[in-house]
Amino acid sequence: MSPPAPVSRRSLLRGGLALGATAGLARAASGCAYLPSETPARVKLPKSAKAKVDGDLVYFNWADYLDPSVIKGFQREYGVKVIQSNFDSMEGMYAKLQAGNQYDIIFPIAKWVQKLRAEGKVRAIDHDELTNADQVFYSGSYYNDPWYDDKSAVSVPFTVYKTGIGWRTDKVDSMTGSWNDLWNPQAAKRIFTLDDQDEAIAMAALLLGYDVNTAKAKELEEVKKLLVSQKKYLRAYSSDDVNNMARGDAWIHHMWSGDFVYLRQGLVDKPENYDFEAPTEGTPINSDAYAIPTNAQHPGTAMLFIDYLLRPEIAKKNMAYLYYPFPVKDAAPSFAELVKDVPAANVDLADLENPDVFRLLGADEVQRRAATWTEVKAS
Amino acid sequence: MATDQAVRPGAQPEARPPRRRSGQRTRLWGTLLALPTAWIVGFFVASMVIVVLLSFGRTQADGKPVFGRTTANYEALWNDVYLQLFLRSLGYAVATTLICALIAYPVAYAIALYGGRYKNVLIAAIVVPFFASYLIRMYAWSALLSDEGIVNSAIKGTDLGDGVQFLNTPYAVIGGLVYGYIVFMILPVYASLERMDVSLIEAGKDLYHGPLRTFLAVTLPATRAGLFGGMLLVFLPALGDFVSAQLLGGPSTYMIGNLIQQQFLEGQNWPLGSAMTVSMMVALTLLMIFYLRGTSTRARELQ
Repeated sequence: MSPPAPVSRRSLLRGGLALGATAGLARAASGCAYLPSETPARVKLPKSAKAKVDGDLVYFNWADYLDPSVIKGFQREYGVKVIQSNFDSMEGMYAKLQAGNQYDIIFPIAKWVQKLRAEGKVRAIDHDELTNADQVFYSGSYYNDPWYDDKSAVSVPFTVYKTGIGWRTDKVDSMTGSWNDLWNPQAAKRIFTLDDQDEAIAMAALLLGYDVNTAKAKELEEVKKLLVSQKKYLRAYSSDDVNNMARGDAWIHHMWSGDFVYLRQGLVDKPENYDFEAPTEGTPINSDAYAIPTNAQHPGTAMLFIDYLLRPEIAKKNMAYLYYPFPVKDAAPSFAELVKDVPAANVDLADLENPDVFRLLGADEVQRRAATWTEVKAS
Repeated sequence: MATDQAVRPGAQPEARPPRRRSGQRTRLWGTLLALPTAWIVGFFVASMVIVVLLSFGRTQADGKPVFGRTTANYEALWNDVYLQLFLRSLGYAVATTLICALIAYPVAYAIALYGGRYKNVLIAAIVVPFFASYLIRMYAWSALLSDEGIVNSAIKGTDLGDGVQFLNTPYAVIGGLVYGYIVFMILPVYASLERMDVSLIEAGKDLYHGPLRTFLAVTLPATRAGLFGGMLLVFLPALGDFVSAQLLGGPSTYMIGNLIQQQFLEGQNWPLGSAMTVSMMVALTLLMIFYLRGTSTRARELQ
């Protein structure tokens, strides 16, 4: 069989171009993507929704970041479906929101809450609508007025974690409790640093006595030198801390506290061979939060979902699944029990008043830090 | 005829005698073809245009990438570090391509000439694993080769030594690339071997060539198109790859693909990332043109 009648290449191209151009124009006209626009200095906060079922819940989170049985329970109790999708980075999440995708609930990291709020992309959350609000917003709670969200007007705290060092006690016996342990010759070529621009720079900055958010050229130069000096002890840069430790490739790992707890309590056969320290120079502390985008179609269901997740028994379930502490008052003791052998991996209230948090930086500052990190990894 | 066209897109359809078609049928095909063409134009070409435009853009203070008319992003590319990365990636990609060729050719040869009725089964056995995501296969490798993984446990179990550190080395990165892309080499080589007239080999032997000379003088030239095509198909994605270096690499195996990926994620510098992408594309296109011209000229001379 011979191929069908040839459509002339030119007419095909012309037709396709016309159709494609229409699609492209429609896209360009619908949003002002990539055209310069300075955000207004003050955005009015979109109003909070009432907590009542107004449709299925469109959920947008890191993969595997809540106990599936908890989500099933919510579906059963409220008779709604939870439509899940995942992001693999904050930048990815932000890009999707920017493109106009509609989600009912998102789980941003602290500084992204600040950014989303400043740009009017998230709506207010009225604490009076949440029956369990007193679990996180009780008198004296750090979250009544956290650094990233004035009066917690648009966010409810989800998890909290610190960055420290996990190590194998059966392989290494010369830990000093300092970030210098990531240069420990006893574990040369068995040390991993997190493949994360902020965390890696912060670790070096703390050693040098600088702010974790430093973007000063001179300080970044020193950070770079310090990090390059670490390379001869390093096996790799990787954020897959749990698996690197579990597989035995790492003896010392720059690590997130929750990942360590998961490794020790949930994964390995001999937990006594694993320990965690929060270095004395300071440890970055970070929080994740729940937030409701301004363009959410079912903000009422999202409010109910947040309220549901704040129930102490639900928080306990999630903590036992995630191994990250939740700042939910009545659930905190159960996490303390879980990490009683490695209290350094817990984050208590006193830890929260901490200057070492990753703040929202300007684009030029981020780019300077990125250039430093690139040069470290490339050299 | 149809297969010939698929292999050589440049083949002249005009050579066929012109036939009259009813206008209706032409229009039907036109409509059917317009949709995929629009798809390509709308989503492939338009995205490319955005990347090119962004490469002259800048990042606003709030982190949003916007169009502009600056060449600063291209000027920023003149950086020793980036050049070094490019050379490293080039080295890995060349090594990957050569190793792929050395592995793929015998495999394709064995299947095409000695596969008999199992040919299709064997090809399926090679292709099916590639239906699994590249990422998953890389993870599987790291589980296999880790210090306390299956291979090292076996080595320790048989008292052959204390185990070997495979992971987080340049060799692991190249190994990952070879595994990731080898199927792109096997298939074109297999196709050209399959199409080759086996009697040519017999003729070579009849003319008192040894097996090696027959191979070099007959088989290899006859399948050169497949081999060159396969090399191109392996080289290009290997050069731009970032997954292998990220999952199997060490502290000093950062590749150009990782660099570009970083600009779009943590670096929040889409314009710089776009400039890198465009430069890479231009460089690779030039490379490809020279390569294709070189190989096709040689092919013509030998005909």
